[in-house]
Amino acid sequence: MQAYLGIDIGSISTKGVVIDADAQIIAHSYLWTEGDPIGAVKRVLAELKGQLPPAVDVVSVGTTGSARKLIGTVLGAQVVKNEITAHAVGTMSRVPDVRTILEIGGQDSKIILLNNGIVTDYAMNTICAAGTGSFLMSQAKRLGLAIDELGEMALKSQNPTRIAARCTVFAESDLVHKAQIGHKKEDIVAGICNAVVNNYLNNVGKGKKIAAPTVFQGGVSKNVGVVRAFSQVLGHEVYVDDFGHLMGCLGVAVLAKTKGNTKSFDFNIQEVSFVTKGKECEKCPNNCEIIYVYRNDDLLDSWGNRCERGVAS
Amino acid sequence: MWRSFFEELGLNVVVSPNTNKAILDAGINASIDESCTSAKVYMGHVEWLIGKCDYIFVPRIAIYENGDATCTKFYGIYDIVRATFPQAKLIHINIDYEDGQTEWNAYKKLGDELGAKPAAVKQAYKNAAAALKNYELELQAAQHALLQSPKLKVLIVAHPYNIYDALIGEPIVRALESLNAAVLYADIPDIAHMCEKSKTISRTMYWRYNKHLTGSIVHYSDKIDGIIFMTTFPCGPDSLAIELIQRKVKDIPMTNLVIDSNFGEAGLHTRIESFIDILEAKKETSK
Repeated sequence: MQAYLGIDIGSISTKGVVIDADAQIIAHSYLWTEGDPIGAVKRVLAELKGQLPPAVDVVSVGTTGSARKLIGTVLGAQVVKNEITAHAVGTMSRVPDVRTILEIGGQDSKIILLNNGIVTDYAMNTICAAGTGSFLMSQAKRLGLAIDELGEMALKSQNPTRIAARCTVFAESDLVHKAQIGHKKEDIVAGICNAVVNNYLNNVGKGKKIAAPTVFQGGVSKNVGVVRAFSQVLGHEVYVDDFGHLMGCLGVAVLAKTKGNTKSFDFNIQEVSFVTKGKECEKCPNNCEIIYVYRNDDLLDSWGNRCERGVAS
Repeated sequence: MWRSFFEELGLNVVVSPNTNKAILDAGINASIDESCTSAKVYMGHVEWLIGKCDYIFVPRIAIYENGDATCTKFYGIYDIVRATFPQAKLIHINIDYEDGQTEWNAYKKLGDELGAKPAAVKQAYKNAAAALKNYELELQAAQHALLQSPKLKVLIVAHPYNIYDALIGEPIVRALESLNAAVLYADIPDIAHMCEKSKTISRTMYWRYNKHLTGSIVHYSDKIDGIIFMTTFPCGPDSLAIELIQRKVKDIPMTNLVIDSNFGEAGLHTRIESFIDILEAKKETSK
């Protein structure tokens, strides 16, 4: 059986899927990158291999995420694609008529608008990470709660507290104030969930028309309180997929499938040693940071130089 | 224009090199931190020139005809440079139409200070203005020819001092060209004509350079596939103008790239690549 591999290497987590010819997921893996993208990918590959039936032949590979170029080089990937396109393609393979994809991760958030199966617009948070997962994490800690308790607790609230959400620093002081004047904990938690939604719609989704069907992804989509807040504000159902965290790698696997440029992939790549080296060029005042990738001591590729002076020899 | 003006008067012109990290770092050190990245780059270039020439030319350009203003950095840069580098010998022009300081008056005064004869100054100014006009016409013709290109056409809406900068803007142009897009620049079409056209988007915008760029969007709106705004952090006029345009212009895909002094090229590539994906998909389906 022919199959296709997609890997999404983010700053925090690394995700991988293998899909069959009908774009159905037949193996998947999700683990922390831990600052070592190549090591994480090797671990993901080991997990995927363990889940696959013996007769499967992976014939095309795609990579996405912030380490897509490095891992694409290491794996000899046929497709190396940015995460926005990858997420859109992956989501459409599950919800073909999706119009809006909301995504809130640990430190970034995006919105992708689609119409008739093509991406028409997107936006990402710029310099500010307010209202993302790390904000929820720090506020949960402040309230003495585990991050996965927040959602259930928010659902208990009848009367969410209003919390200033423009800036994390102000939100935090407002939060303390609201607790001190006697708001209930579940109301405050629900208030935080609403704040995340309002912050997202004001900063990332500003002025964009959020049409149904809407899919919500990223780590924060596991928080049912935020899901409910989105549904209430938008006035329509917000769909959360159990595989929501895999949409990037799924998308790039689908792209690898359509690419058609097939070549049997060898999972034994785990035993090959890959070494990367970063070096400043020093041939002009720009001092470009050049990355060299070695496979068993042979230079595989290099990048990062702005001009020919930095070409690896 | 200034270059040919000086050369017409028989002076040697020393120009600082393309911006590199050393120049940017020097500029950051010579500026207050709230200053915009472009002004920091400018300060870096001034510092590079110190000791390499007799005079450093720092124009003050404030107000043109009809009260068209530049941004406050253009108002203030001469005084900022003078206060930051008291050891530097400066020459300047002061363009401020509300104060009777027309472009010609400004150059006349400068020529005077340089000890040139009035007739020579007049001739140098005339030739310099003509040289500038020719240069602009060449750029306009080249850009017009690019409209026939079968490639995806992307209009870059950015101030020339940002987008043509080797360190700040060029990586964006390179990324677009490597993705096989044709790059058009909003600052190339004729400024007076474009300022007039900008009125269909806003009648009250008063920054001359932003009017120019905005007018180009109107001018090219039916000839391009997408718009990329490129601005340096923190630019006051751009932040207002871009917000306004994004609300008023609806049917062209657009994205906004904000560059600051500690930018990473990775995020830039992700944004540009996905934007080009959108334009390609849109073009495919409209066929």
